[in-house]
Amino acid sequence: MNLDDLTTTARLALLDIPDPEKLAHAFTEMLHHFEKMNEVDVSGLEPTTHALLRENRLRKDVVTNDDRSDELLARAADAKGRFFRIPNVL
Amino acid sequence: MDILQSWRRVLASDDNRRRYDAYIERWESRIACLLERDLTRATGTPDAALPLSGIPFAVKDNIAVRDFHLTCGSKILQNLVSPYTATAVKRLEAAGARVIGKTNLDEFGMGSSTDNSALQRSNNPWNASAVCGGSSGGSAAVVAAGLVPFALGSDTGGSVRQPASFCGCFGLKPTWGSVSRFGLVAYASSLEVIGVLARDVDTVETVYDLMAGADDLDQSSLARPAAPPAREIRTVGVLRGTAGLAAPIEAACRNTIDALKQSGCEIVELELPMLEYVVPAYYTIATAEASANLARYTGIRYGLRAAVDEGQEQMVAATRNAGFGDEVKLRILLGTYVLRSGFQDQYYVRAQKIRTAIRNAFDAAFQQADVILSPVYPTQAFVRGAGELSPFAQKLADRFTASANLAGIPAFAFPTGVADGLPVGLQFMGPPFAEHRLFDAVRRLPDVAPLMRPDGYDEGWRS
Repeated sequence: MNLDDLTTTARLALLDIPDPEKLAHAFTEMLHHFEKMNEVDVSGLEPTTHALLRENRLRKDVVTNDDRSDELLARAADAKGRFFRIPNVL
Repeated sequence: MDILQSWRRVLASDDNRRRYDAYIERWESRIACLLERDLTRATGTPDAALPLSGIPFAVKDNIAVRDFHLTCGSKILQNLVSPYTATAVKRLEAAGARVIGKTNLDEFGMGSSTDNSALQRSNNPWNASAVCGGSSGGSAAVVAAGLVPFALGSDTGGSVRQPASFCGCFGLKPTWGSVSRFGLVAYASSLEVIGVLARDVDTVETVYDLMAGADDLDQSSLARPAAPPAREIRTVGVLRGTAGLAAPIEAACRNTIDALKQSGCEIVELELPMLEYVVPAYYTIATAEASANLARYTGIRYGLRAAVDEGQEQMVAATRNAGFGDEVKLRILLGTYVLRSGFQDQYYVRAQKIRTAIRNAFDAAFQQADVILSPVYPTQAFVRGAGELSPFAQKLADRFTASANLAGIPAFAFPTGVADGLPVGLQFMGPPFAEHRLFDAVRRLPDVAPLMRPDGYDEGWRS
């Protein structure tokens, strides 16, 4: 792991990290700790994504929630009419 | 239900509310654990027949309550007012209980002291120079100080149990999925669950029973099985290899084991070598899920937005840089890294396989023991500026709590006493849906789980 790795990772995470060196120590410390997992023989073990989830919960395909779009739009940082407004993309 | 009785009328009149508010204020000037409080919206007398009629409670500020803020202790959501209410809260409100405030937490639940809150610093009611633990530190502190009879928290790697231990109250981390997560702001979805903090076992049990159960709004929620595990306890497992505990914690373990023997339990020593890998597996999975869950904070639809005029991506990156604290950024970066193409097998998939091994180890352990007794945390609450653990050491110290999150099993932290002016606590763990067995395990220990009161704790204002 070097600083380039960290800045590339930050870019993928859409994080603008002005001072990557500040986080670098804690980041490598944890990654190094993750390496401890290499001691375990994991052959024959299936990955567990959720400890207790066995099946999907299904329901009828009908609308059950009310329309809260006005309330949600009212929380926008910037909106115009029924649209969220963002900075120019081009 | 006796302890709850004295709370039934605290919101019933202007006079009662004034007295209540004065008691809260007396504590809040010392501990600052509520991010928002409002006793006025809890007016109206709920049906007296309801089990929690008129009873106030507090909610960790990463759980949605309509018209209260939902800050998650973060600058990025500081001004967000929740448009809806979490299912767990709704069920308690339907039972007559009333939310009176939102409690401080480590930002998005990431931390062990509540000092990672970007909004305010909270103190331990036993010693204002000590932390209240985390991440549900505010909820633990307001319960310990007697500001509410119970509070909700969330537990992703120990975030209900560790602050409960630090503040001297009970803290339940239920079976994963047994309480709906609808309305809980997501951090690590496969690990976290809404839990209860209270000053007595009966209140924890009452609240848990009312809020648990399947919910159409959370497709991962689970109904209680028709035949849940028996409540009876004959054998108690204790972990071998718990070196590095602070002396008061070690003494609590010894005394509790003695008390369990006295009460007729057989003690079984358990060897769980997989527990050595709990912390790396837990942090790999938790940070990976966090990096995905926190990708939604972009400043576009709600929350903070940085003032950037050109370029959507620049605006999003600037917003996230301004809105997230260092610990949150660190975990997003780690999670993004372990999910990067080429690294997934090495970290994320390996961690999930180790998680399987940890589950298997617990399954085998519960063949030998009805419950497992374990420390919650290797130390008592840290006093700021004196013997604080480094952020890395704090993560390593999650080893006793995070194991239950990886395995999805319930765990119940209980206070055992006070040493050097600060509380000490331990926990019982059990197989899935054995919450009531854990309650009964604690009920066998009347002498080691006293009702402890920090200086300034008072009930007189309620009479």
